[in-house]
Amino acid sequence: MSGPDEVRLSFEADTRNIALTRTLAAAMAARADLPIDQLEDARLAVDEAVTQVIASAPAGAEVVCIMSAAPGELSITVSAPGTQEPSQSTFSWMVLSALVSSLDAQVADGRITFMLLIERADVDA
Amino acid sequence: MTGSSSWTPERRAREHELLLRLSAISPADSSEYNAIRDELVTMHLPLVRHLARKYADRGEPLEDLVQVGTVGLITALDRFDNERGTELASFAGPYITGEIRRHFRDKAWSVRIPRSLQELQGPLAAATEKLTRDLNRSPTVAELAASLNVPEDLVLDAMEARHSYSASSLDEALEAGTLSLPSIDLALERIDERETLEPLLQALPDRERLILTRRFFDEWSQRQIADELGISQMHVSRILARTLTHLRIQLKDTRD
Repeated sequence: MSGPDEVRLSFEADTRNIALTRTLAAAMAARADLPIDQLEDARLAVDEAVTQVIASAPAGAEVVCIMSAAPGELSITVSAPGTQEPSQSTFSWMVLSALVSSLDAQVADGRITFMLLIERADVDA
Repeated sequence: MTGSSSWTPERRAREHELLLRLSAISPADSSEYNAIRDELVTMHLPLVRHLARKYADRGEPLEDLVQVGTVGLITALDRFDNERGTELASFAGPYITGEIRRHFRDKAWSVRIPRSLQELQGPLAAATEKLTRDLNRSPTVAELAASLNVPEDLVLDAMEARHSYSASSLDEALEAGTLSLPSIDLALERIDERETLEPLLQALPDRERLILTRRFFDEWSQRQIADELGISQMHVSRILARTLTHLRIQLKDTRD
């Protein structure tokens, strides 16, 4: 594969679509060569992030999910219309930060974006 | 136990010696621990085979049943207490049949899953168990595919299929007495919703609460949790997903 191994999924802010992002996360985690326990974490993390943005997005809004795989590294951004910075003292934020290596959320131009990075935990590979 | 009736005194002595050595070293010294454990597993394969054969007329390949039964044997070995004076074979029997029965229970979803994915479940579980032991970490999808000699996509599909089968077959028996539950009070201090969250967490079954706490409050890996509870990492993952969804719905109900 030439260039970054990146996949982009855009869909209507509807909970029915969350399952698609879980499946995509698993496939991209495999391409990033993450061990399967971290692959499962990636599924849980994207589920959590997408659920959050859908909950605060207006009905019918577009959610964009971009996943990029590099060896030992999976980065995921999830964005949707939103103006409110997410609180970092919620259970949801705590769950997300335990699942990923680094987590950030930004509000810009009327969209809220979650940035998740999962790095392979072991170093022997 | 029938499987050990043909054992010579020499083999019994060897088993005894291995068990003593096994109890003297920690699993962290993985190469020696694994070598001793592998020998014990090999010694008891006839027992696994014997027990698996009892289920051989139910439409599953015997080799698959032996494989899942071996997973049970390994769990038993890890939990075996040499001091207790019980025979390893008698101790391991219930673990082996338990794992084989679970394999059949898991088949309850067979109507919904294509046969190729169904057939991969037993070998996938066994390969995951073996590679996790050999590598001392969770394997990757590529490693599982290579070990099973199937395409990576098929491994992913099989993993996905496991997620979609019903919650009722997920409940492995776990003795309530074996869980020591960590305190969650401290961790909750950081959380805005602690007043609504705390009773929800307390209401969870012990095992669910323990797994959730370990992963999100103590930040253990899924694999470490699986090791602690003696269940598969896949199982930990399903419980986490199910429990998170449950909590999310409950939290939302409280807010609305």
